[in-house]
Amino acid sequence: MLKRLCLALVLLTSSALMTAPGRAMPLAVMADIPLGPAIPGESRYAGAVVRTVRGMIEYTRWPQHNDPLVLCVAGPTQHAGQIGSIRLSDGRRVDRRNVNATPGALGGCHILYLGNLAIALQRQLTEAVRGRGVLTIAEADPSNAAEAMFAFTYKPNGLSFRLNVDAVSRSGLRVDPRVLRLSQGGA
Amino acid sequence: MPVKDDLPLPTLRDMLASAHLRLIMFAVLLATASLVLSGGLVIRNYAQRNLELVGRTVAYTVEPAVLFGDREAIRQGIVSVAAGRGIERVEVRDSAGQLLAEWQNPQQGALATLSRAANPVFWPNPAVDQVLRGEDHIAEVRIYGNSEGILRYGLAGTIIALACLGLTVIATRILARQLQSEVVRPLEHVAEVAHAVRRDRAFERRVPASGIAEIDRFGRDFNALLAELQGWHAGLTSENRELAWRASHDGLTGLGNRQMFETTLCGAIDHARRDGSALAVLYLDIDRFKAINDDHGHASGDAALVAVGERLRAAIRQNDLAFRLGGDEFAVLLAPTSGRDQAGMVVERIRQEMAQPFRLPSGVHIAARLSAGVAIFPEDGESGDALLRKADARMYRDKGRDLGSGVFVNA
Repeated sequence: MLKRLCLALVLLTSSALMTAPGRAMPLAVMADIPLGPAIPGESRYAGAVVRTVRGMIEYTRWPQHNDPLVLCVAGPTQHAGQIGSIRLSDGRRVDRRNVNATPGALGGCHILYLGNLAIALQRQLTEAVRGRGVLTIAEADPSNAAEAMFAFTYKPNGLSFRLNVDAVSRSGLRVDPRVLRLSQGGA
Repeated sequence: MPVKDDLPLPTLRDMLASAHLRLIMFAVLLATASLVLSGGLVIRNYAQRNLELVGRTVAYTVEPAVLFGDREAIRQGIVSVAAGRGIERVEVRDSAGQLLAEWQNPQQGALATLSRAANPVFWPNPAVDQVLRGEDHIAEVRIYGNSEGILRYGLAGTIIALACLGLTVIATRILARQLQSEVVRPLEHVAEVAHAVRRDRAFERRVPASGIAEIDRFGRDFNALLAELQGWHAGLTSENRELAWRASHDGLTGLGNRQMFETTLCGAIDHARRDGSALAVLYLDIDRFKAINDDHGHASGDAALVAVGERLRAAIRQNDLAFRLGGDEFAVLLAPTSGRDQAGMVVERIRQEMAQPFRLPSGVHIAARLSAGVAIFPEDGESGDALLRKADARMYRDKGRDLGSGVFVNA
């Protein structure tokens, strides 16, 4: 059983890695991450966003061990109020750092959180970090036109995200296949 | 063994068949029971390990979904791993014990109902696995087993056992029939021979070899017994025949005795009366027989009697019968339709035969004369006694005459 599962994961991973570069992959949507209790003064999605970002970081492997991880926030954000409080299950810390939305300002970032920026700018930023081991998450690009690895979509009852398999495969990072699978709705 | 009269005795075939059937049923049931039991235990063990593996796999699969808090993804993860036979129910609960997602085997039908009833027996406890993220315990997976597989196995085992039993019952009957014909046929041969011997006195019959050691031994002894019986029977028969001959014949001359003469005469008279034909009786004795006895001894008397017997036999015709009535008295029953003329001719021939001297044991040759009297049925009497008396009287008259005179054939 385990063996079969491993085989399935290998197939899944290899299929993800073998994707032709440049081509926009079908971007799957994950369903309904519950929003949790509302916190006064915060966006109603803030809790879900911080949990989801934490999960994304948990299931991503960097080529080197980094402690703390540097989470760079570019541009104004609506739901990232609690994002500086993330602590991973293995004890690593995640430090939030606000950066300028320019390609040159991204040195030392392990995670790039894109705020509410123009799509063209977002694309510039994702292209600047491509292949350099940076996890990219777009807060305000529901159609994922900027080709970040993950892009949030907002539903009335919950939070979802899209995953760009192409961006993942060219990021220089390893994302747990279970998350790939999860993003595809468990198919 | 006491047996009730109204119950027919069981045949050998019945006994063989029931013995085989019991033996084979015992063997099949024993084999089936042990196979089903051991197979069930093995399956149960494998199913238990399967449950544990499914638990591990579910825990691994749903871990990100739990972390993201996506219940739908958890449910789909469960379905992708657990959907299939052998699992009744899967639950994923968070660390606080609150249900995150569950999956229930949707199967319906009699077998599913039966399986649900049997689940608490086979799977009293669920397989439990923890979902961990680093050091954090984030959820618990509980897998409840389904006994459908075990029930299917038991059902299949029972059906196979029943089919095997059916086959063995048929095989038993065939086997019993073969055994019966091998064992019973030789026995039936013995019985048939015994019956033939008893009914038809067929002592020459023998039991053929059977090819079974015990029955062959029995057959050989039986045949030896039959051979002895045959010997006894042959001896008795010849003894009886000799006794019967002695009872009706004279031992010295070999002629019929007085008793046979009377019986024969009676029969001949009946016959002649029915046919309306005639019948002649000749009564004879040896003249001066006492003198022969006295002068030459009793052995000579016997020799004279033997000589007279031989000559009487030689003188009479083919259908005439000669008897020695006792002492020196002889009688001849002439063939039917014999009249006085034929009687006279027979007497004449007897006289001629007697004219030849015969040799006595002492070496002396003598000739003996016979006195003769004739009686004819029905003129001289209607009964044997009357005829005999008449012939006797005429013979005595003849004896008074001299040698060479004619025989009295008339009163």
